[in-house]
Amino acid sequence: MTLGPGVSRQSLGRTTIHVAVVLSLAFGVLAGAAGYWGVIEAPGLVRAPDDAAVIEAARTVPRGLIRDRAGKVLASNKTDANGESYRVYAGRAISQVIGYASNLYGRAGLERTYDAELAGLAGDPLSDAFAKFGANRYDPKNLALSLSWDLQKAAVAALGTHRGAVVMLDPRTGEVLALASTPTYDASAIADPTTARAVFQDLQSDPSQPLLPRATLGRYVPGSVLKVVTAAAGLGSGAITPATTFKQQPAAEKTGLLVGGFRVRDGHHPATGSTPLDLVGATEVSCNIYYALTGLQTGGLALVDYAQRMGFGSALPFDLPTAVSQVTGGGGSKPGGFKDEVELANAAYGQAETVVTPLQMALVAATIANDGELLAPHLVTSMTGRGGMRTIGPTSMGRVISNTNARAINAAMVQAVEGPLGRQYTTGAKVPGVITAGKSGTAQLGGTGEPHSWFIGFAPADAPKVVIAVLVEQAGRGGEVAAPIAGDLMSLYLKTPQ
Amino acid sequence: MTSDTGRVANPTSLPRLLGPIRPRPRWQELRLLAFVGLALVVGSVSLGATVTKKFGLYDAPDLLIYLGALLGAHLAQVLAGRRTDQVLLPTVGLLGGISLLLMQRLPQDLVTQTFFGTRLGLAQVQLVWLLLALALATTMAIVVRSDSWLRRYKYTWAAVGVGMLLLTFVLGTEINGQRLTLQLGPFSGQPTELLKVILVVFLAGYLSENRTLLVEQDSRLGPLRLPPLPYLAPMVAMWAIALGIVVIQRDLGAALLFFGVFLALVYVATGRLSLVVIGFVLFLLGSALMAMLIDHVRTRVAVWIDPFADPLGAGYQIVQALHAFARGGLLGVGFGAGLPEIAGRPPIPEVHTDFPLAALGEELGIVGVVAILGLYLVLVERGLRIGAAAADDFRSLLAVGLALVIGIQAFIIAAGDLKVLPLTGVTLPFISYGGSSLLANALVVGLLLALSDKGVEAPPPPRVGSRWRRVGRRGVA
Repeated sequence: MTLGPGVSRQSLGRTTIHVAVVLSLAFGVLAGAAGYWGVIEAPGLVRAPDDAAVIEAARTVPRGLIRDRAGKVLASNKTDANGESYRVYAGRAISQVIGYASNLYGRAGLERTYDAELAGLAGDPLSDAFAKFGANRYDPKNLALSLSWDLQKAAVAALGTHRGAVVMLDPRTGEVLALASTPTYDASAIADPTTARAVFQDLQSDPSQPLLPRATLGRYVPGSVLKVVTAAAGLGSGAITPATTFKQQPAAEKTGLLVGGFRVRDGHHPATGSTPLDLVGATEVSCNIYYALTGLQTGGLALVDYAQRMGFGSALPFDLPTAVSQVTGGGGSKPGGFKDEVELANAAYGQAETVVTPLQMALVAATIANDGELLAPHLVTSMTGRGGMRTIGPTSMGRVISNTNARAINAAMVQAVEGPLGRQYTTGAKVPGVITAGKSGTAQLGGTGEPHSWFIGFAPADAPKVVIAVLVEQAGRGGEVAAPIAGDLMSLYLKTPQ
Repeated sequence: MTSDTGRVANPTSLPRLLGPIRPRPRWQELRLLAFVGLALVVGSVSLGATVTKKFGLYDAPDLLIYLGALLGAHLAQVLAGRRTDQVLLPTVGLLGGISLLLMQRLPQDLVTQTFFGTRLGLAQVQLVWLLLALALATTMAIVVRSDSWLRRYKYTWAAVGVGMLLLTFVLGTEINGQRLTLQLGPFSGQPTELLKVILVVFLAGYLSENRTLLVEQDSRLGPLRLPPLPYLAPMVAMWAIALGIVVIQRDLGAALLFFGVFLALVYVATGRLSLVVIGFVLFLLGSALMAMLIDHVRTRVAVWIDPFADPLGAGYQIVQALHAFARGGLLGVGFGAGLPEIAGRPPIPEVHTDFPLAALGEELGIVGVVAILGLYLVLVERGLRIGAAAADDFRSLLAVGLALVIGIQAFIIAAGDLKVLPLTGVTLPFISYGGSSLLANALVVGLLLALSDKGVEAPPPPRVGSRWRRVGRRGVA
């Protein structure tokens, strides 16, 4: 910037205006910042547990009620000696889903996810701008769940003293019907300020981890139930067709299939003999070798890709926090992050580094049941406040595979339950009088521990209304423990008028 | 407007000081004050309705005393017949009124003082300071008829300022890791508040005298053209003093304010962007150095970058403030309905000094915050206007500098509250609780009013050889 001698004649007006403009712009930034915190960041901040209004509301305002799909009240309020409100829950079966709201121990479950709505704090900064002027600032919302209290109780009862989880949902809408985890705990005792301390400390030190919602946060080796993912990836990527067979498969049954120095073994060869198996046949007898070969033919990249389309690889879009399911631990040099062919071959039938949540496996079954399109799982179907009811409808997670491919896997899963050989692996999974589809799994944990017992399935197979995933921790073969539980619960649901 | 014959005809001492008593109506000011009164009454009724659930003024006597004082300030200027700016008083009056309502609304035991056996709570103490501030501003507006006491003794004032700073360092009381308060007998105050006025006086004097030299002559430093280096020495001294304040007093806000005003005034006087850029870069380097060396500064910066990393510890105050803005949203929750109490206290610590904007943001919303920020811009605009119309460079720079002191200070603390800048301890002018701050800002407004008077004494004739000053007066005389 060069200034000649003439510049001295200038008045201060020009530079003063420059300074005024800069200061005005700076104030404009402040107005923008006020808008940023007051509108853009506001929805998150006004719900945070640190927020002073949230803390105040928790002490003074009765929370909204939570009801099941039939209108049964699952969470209501009582008032303690000091006039402060606290929560009471319908029973232990629901604790893992609804969680608890405690002024000592915070929130868990739906009480945490929908804390702001249940406490009645303002939601949208723009549409609720005028609502805040009302004399009654808090507008607690009542939640309606898609969950069935009866089904939930039956699921918990069916798991009995086992540790495990049951997920049931409607594949056409993604509505979760039951979400059971055992062991359960008494959430009312945590919410009650007189018993909270002792009960909570006991629960935290309990080795069976009752506070862990196994259905959504438990991560388990899937075993053969993962073959449904492999089938979807194989058919979807075009690596196989329903008619594909592998020539080397029958011979390998006796000695095991050699992959990179590792032998994939099977136990069904006396029944299937020397005929190469196609998709339906291999699924009926849960042929590890067929699926290992399918996985190798499909490749790691496609397997990971199709798994991700069904929700693997990231937390699920759901009302509750979910653990991440995976087909590989990743980091390997082969496509998809697999270390080598051995890992890929083992992952294809649900061993190696595969880890899943029961909810994720229910979604895999739901994808097949809903002819290839996956609907996002959800629990809360409506919220009702002073301003009326807001319903939360189904949302799609997208099409995973084509209708035709889904039907092919559907047929294979029917054979696994209804077929003469399949029946032996899935005893009790069949819903009487209804064509039932499913796949059992027996997840080897290595070492001497009993395997996890799995079953995923749906019914009626031609027009599925209910999908189920059952996991029983270290209970032995899937066909013996998980499958009968699934059959009973699906029967119960289909018997009740909807 | 009538002529200035009265001034010209009265060269004797006392009338020269006060001027002849000849009332002159100030209709614009009165209209604006009526609006201010209405706004404050509405605010008070809203507060009353929320807190007491009854329709009526909340703590009516305090508000009426304050409105009476505003009217008194207006009438005093009418009676004195001054032709001073008519927007400043209503603007400051509205800000002060908002402050009074806010202090009434906060828990009264945040501050208690006993005057002559009477125990006063937060709102009453603030009311006393507001009244004193109004009295000071009005008195300055009426009494100050000459600027020679500022113009001539600029180095003396500078020495006084530096002396006060040193005194604070030696005798000051340390509060929250900052050494800001000077206690002399029963009186305590924050000298940096007064120092900012002295700084502007000094800079206006120095820059108006040396403007030509700073603009016209060059020395080169690499690709940069700079004024002669000797003339930069006072600037470098300023830079050192600003950083000295940070080091010695741990007062980031004052340092930022002083340096901001300094750079702005240098730019106004010289039009040299290069000086501003160099100064800014030096300040950033200095700040980075401070952040590395001083724990207190480093913590502030870390909290600024991510307050949510430690929401219950170091970041608590700012996090709670941001929550308050979020709860307020667009229109706010209504006066008196916000600031949910945690264990009987407002959620934001030091809300009455550091975070009044957050409290107002919650209760009046973004709309209220923007309106309040707008009021500060009005003050700045009036100050700059007064500067533009002033008779010579000294008065111009003085008025511009005084206006910028208020504008930049409001910006610094508002930016701190909104996490635009690291939080610093400066007050929100006319709204934050505090006597030093109110009186210093009243001094600023009083000087601006005096400078705006079209009837004040003409500036002294320019010194021989500075031909440009005469030219600068063109169109004003």
